[in-house]
Amino acid sequence: MSITLEKLTKRYGPTLAVDGLDLAVRPGRVTGFLGPNGAGKSTTMRMVLGLDRPTSGRALVGGRAYDSYKWPLREMGALLEAKAVHPGRTGRNHLLAMARSNAVPDRRVDEVLAVVGLTDVARRRSGTHSLGMGQRLGIAGALLADPPVLMLDEPVNGLDPDGVRWIRGLLRDLAAEGRTVFVSSHLLSEMQMTADHLVVIGHGKLLADAPMTEIMGGHATLEDAYYELTGSAA
Amino acid sequence: MRAAIRSEWTKLWTTRTVWWALLGAFVLMAAAAGQNAIYVENGDVTTASVAVMSVTIAQLAFVALAMLVMTGEYSAGTIRATLSWIPSRGRLLSAKIAVVSAVTLVTGVAVGLLGGVIASAIVDDSGSIAGDAFKIGIYLVLLGALATGLGAALRGPVVTLVVLLMTIVVIPPLLQLPDIAVLNGIADAFPGVAGGHFLYGDADPYPPLVGLLILAGWAALAVAAGWQVLTRRDA
Ligand SMILES: Nc1ncnc2c1ncn2[C@@H]1O[C@H](COP(=O)(O)OP(=O)(O)OP(=O)(O)O)[C@@H](O)[C@H]1O
Ligand SMILES: [Mg+2]
Repeated sequence: MSITLEKLTKRYGPTLAVDGLDLAVRPGRVTGFLGPNGAGKSTTMRMVLGLDRPTSGRALVGGRAYDSYKWPLREMGALLEAKAVHPGRTGRNHLLAMARSNAVPDRRVDEVLAVVGLTDVARRRSGTHSLGMGQRLGIAGALLADPPVLMLDEPVNGLDPDGVRWIRGLLRDLAAEGRTVFVSSHLLSEMQMTADHLVVIGHGKLLADAPMTEIMGGHATLEDAYYELTGSAA
Repeated sequence: MRAAIRSEWTKLWTTRTVWWALLGAFVLMAAAAGQNAIYVENGDVTTASVAVMSVTIAQLAFVALAMLVMTGEYSAGTIRATLSWIPSRGRLLSAKIAVVSAVTLVTGVAVGLLGGVIASAIVDDSGSIAGDAFKIGIYLVLLGALATGLGAALRGPVVTLVVLLMTIVVIPPLLQLPDIAVLNGIADAFPGVAGGHFLYGDADPYPPLVGLLILAGWAALAVAAGWQVLTRRDA
């Protein structure tokens, strides 16, 4: 299953946040999603989830609009920016409600909590969680219904070095299982180690959509290649 | 739809909000019924039913619970997560209203019974305890749907609560104060006043059933507005 964007455009008043993106994010590899602050990465992801309505164009998951699926969590798991859990609810209860919304068996909750290493912490109210625990809980949610597509907005944000390394392994494993993995990040050296393919945008426009090796070209680091693409000074 | 309801049911019972609201409902009813019964006993006021009279106070807890089920999603920032689980706006709003209605009906009737029992311990209450309690439950369910729908339309808990309080508590008595026919007529079209005519079984200015229908109409309007906003506006 792929994520496909067709002339996807989003305008907020005078701001053109996403400007005619055409893109196919393919299975079996990790696709990194790069671009400066305000480039339109999160907006693109929200439109894929049907949270924001495109001004024009469309975003599809497996050839259909995400919100047309009866059990969308079984098609795509997503991690959005910022916290998505009520501070007064325990992480485990959050995942239970999430599982039940898509008729996923309750036992999956404990399975994914074990995968992200939150088994004990998840019985505490999420308001007491650290930033990294919150990220892990979000990732547990994305994995909950065992979806073939994963879309993660800055998943390493707030994770400690162990966590960063863990995410890297997780994403590579998920792609190796044949899943579609679409992940945004500002950590270029981390992305260099994780992604097989890169999509770079700036001011809502597509700047590059190519394999990592091609983007790297003759550059020593992804950082050098990135600055050349986005035109921002090092 | 069953999955959406199960999910919303789970969410409802896994924060403290619901417990505070339900505790508040019983405490407010007990306090109001006790006080109103004493007023009646002293001959300060006359009423067909102390329990119904006391709903004016106890309803605030139900209204708060219902509107928080929707607006809490915005204030806690969870609405995007929720909509990514249940992308159909209509299904989500229906599930929330179903869950709020179930809890409100059961608790509303229980609160109504409590008010009736307290009243009958203090005064010779002319209302029928069970009949009034059942009507109170129905009234609160419709008021809850109104509050949930309005919450979806306005999103902010504060603005929603202010609009609800103005509509139900503040404006109608102000309209009725000068006792002018036109203003009284306008007040009678307000959801809380219409619901009150239903609860008291008033024959005037319209039959009780019409009062119920006016309240139901407001609730339907609020739900339709909430659904429109959920569907049209970005989450
Ligand atoms: N709800 C909104 N209303 C108005 N403008 C918005 C809204 N959401 C995003 N924008 C604007 O759209 C543009 C793209 O923002 P977006 O959050 O998608 O960027 P991003 O690539 O995710 O950035 P970052 O790397 O900082 O997360 C920005 O100019 C932002 O200010
Ligand atoms: Mg972003």
